[in-house]
Amino acid sequence: MASSEDYKKSIGYYKHVSLFWTDLLSLMSSRPHSLLSTGPLRKFGVNAKKVNTEMIEINQELAEFNARLSEYYKQLTDTWNEAQKQFNKKVPEIPTDTEHLDSTKRIWIDIFENYFTRLFDSPEFAENFGKMVSSELELAKHWNNIISLMMESANMPTKKEIDELYKELHLLRKRVAKLEKIASIGGSANGK
Amino acid sequence: MESELKIDPRIIEEFLQINKNILDAPKLVAAPDEISLEMTPYDVVYSEGKMRLLHFNSDKQKQVRTPLLIAYALINRYHILDIHPQKSWVRNMLDQGLDVYMIDWGTPTKMDRYLGFDDYVNSYMDNCVDFILNESSVEKVSLQGYCTGGTLATVYTALHPNKIKNLVLTAPVIDGSKDSTVVANLAKHMDVDKMVDVIGNMPPEFMYYVFSILKPFEQGLEKYVQFFKNIHNKEYVENFIRVEKWLSDTPPIPGELFREWVKNVYQENLLIRNQMNVAGKVVDLKNISMPVFTQVAVGDHLVSPECSMPIHYAVSTEDKTLRIYATGHVGMIASSFSQKRVLPELGQWLKERSEK
Repeated sequence: MASSEDYKKSIGYYKHVSLFWTDLLSLMSSRPHSLLSTGPLRKFGVNAKKVNTEMIEINQELAEFNARLSEYYKQLTDTWNEAQKQFNKKVPEIPTDTEHLDSTKRIWIDIFENYFTRLFDSPEFAENFGKMVSSELELAKHWNNIISLMMESANMPTKKEIDELYKELHLLRKRVAKLEKIASIGGSANGK
Repeated sequence: MESELKIDPRIIEEFLQINKNILDAPKLVAAPDEISLEMTPYDVVYSEGKMRLLHFNSDKQKQVRTPLLIAYALINRYHILDIHPQKSWVRNMLDQGLDVYMIDWGTPTKMDRYLGFDDYVNSYMDNCVDFILNESSVEKVSLQGYCTGGTLATVYTALHPNKIKNLVLTAPVIDGSKDSTVVANLAKHMDVDKMVDVIGNMPPEFMYYVFSILKPFEQGLEKYVQFFKNIHNKEYVENFIRVEKWLSDTPPIPGELFREWVKNVYQENLLIRNQMNVAGKVVDLKNISMPVFTQVAVGDHLVSPECSMPIHYAVSTEDKTLRIYATGHVGMIASSFSQKRVLPELGQWLKERSEK
């Protein structure tokens, strides 16, 4: 099985080769393309390289995400197995009447609840979970970047530009509220 | 050799009965979408952005002039405080002769991602308080905060102490370093900057995940088995569906507010150390010099008592009461227990300290 170092090396090599050819092709073909400088395809031609880079980086992030996800499921499976062992020790035989079945169910719930709560309370679980969410967010970030490039190619506002707008709007609302407060104080001070 | 497993026929009978109950369920129970969680009538007396200030109607004689403003939590909606006529926090307070207002934070959209503590405390809450003061012709209000609303109420009171007559904190999130719950464990290891920068608002799905690992077997399995077992118990299933509907209605939390929240309360623990900063002002808990009533629940698995109780010792007032109840996070506000124990004590405490 290839080590993660080998994997990184081969991804790096692939990234280099791919960027080399997209760069070179872009340089070779930029002159005739520049004639169509106002069309969306021209913009997409320029952005295609960035999309390619994002896709390669998504692959790198996927490796990290998969590692974290595997660890997450391993933690759950190990805990389940330990809880099951404990349950088997406590209840060696399957109950055959309703009274025992109810109490067995209670024991099963209590044991599993205890084991899993201990897992979810542990720093190991929280650390891995935090990193798993973080790598998922990295994937989302690359996805957002790709969408933004597409939007830019289609001459439409990107997520970043919309966010800037939201921020402006937020600051503007605050200013208006502040001015309204000042005006209302001034109004009452003048006895109006 | 032949082995024979003898099974009690009652087990098979019970199994068949549950199957029948599952099939009968749609005929006996309304779908969550078909029921409304609105109970006690109210008027929306003020609104700002998505936030609404609700004023509950009552036919009872007011016993005190000081109104009570409830700052509900940021997680789920305010309906849990008025979930059922026999378990309604709001109705009980009205019946005790109090004038009750409540803040509904609404459902923030992506446009609200830059709203932070400053907006929630110094704008929304302060404008609500000003509105009530003006409407009721009083100088101060009593403020109650539940869960994360308790944190907002604490910050508000520390920054605007002159407008608050009494402060009531019900399971408030105060000292993140002492919080022993799963929620705190995850919050401490979260890259909140990345989450807010990439997603914007804190998505409800994240909260649903956290809820699902709180008591996974009791809440995720046994609860539903009991529901189908009790399908012919009208009161039980009605209450079950209402609470389930409430549980599945969590609005997103504005990104900046969530970022400040996780950092100031859980990761850097600035609030209890009097180092939290809101709009350039330090939140000094010693400014809280009015009567304070803190309510915590021993079985609270969302906000542990150790997380809430430090506020009792951090405030400067000498008129302070700490009550520890043998119930859980929701049991403290929406149960027969809260009607019998929690609310009568609170009502009495408030009436003794309110303007007549």
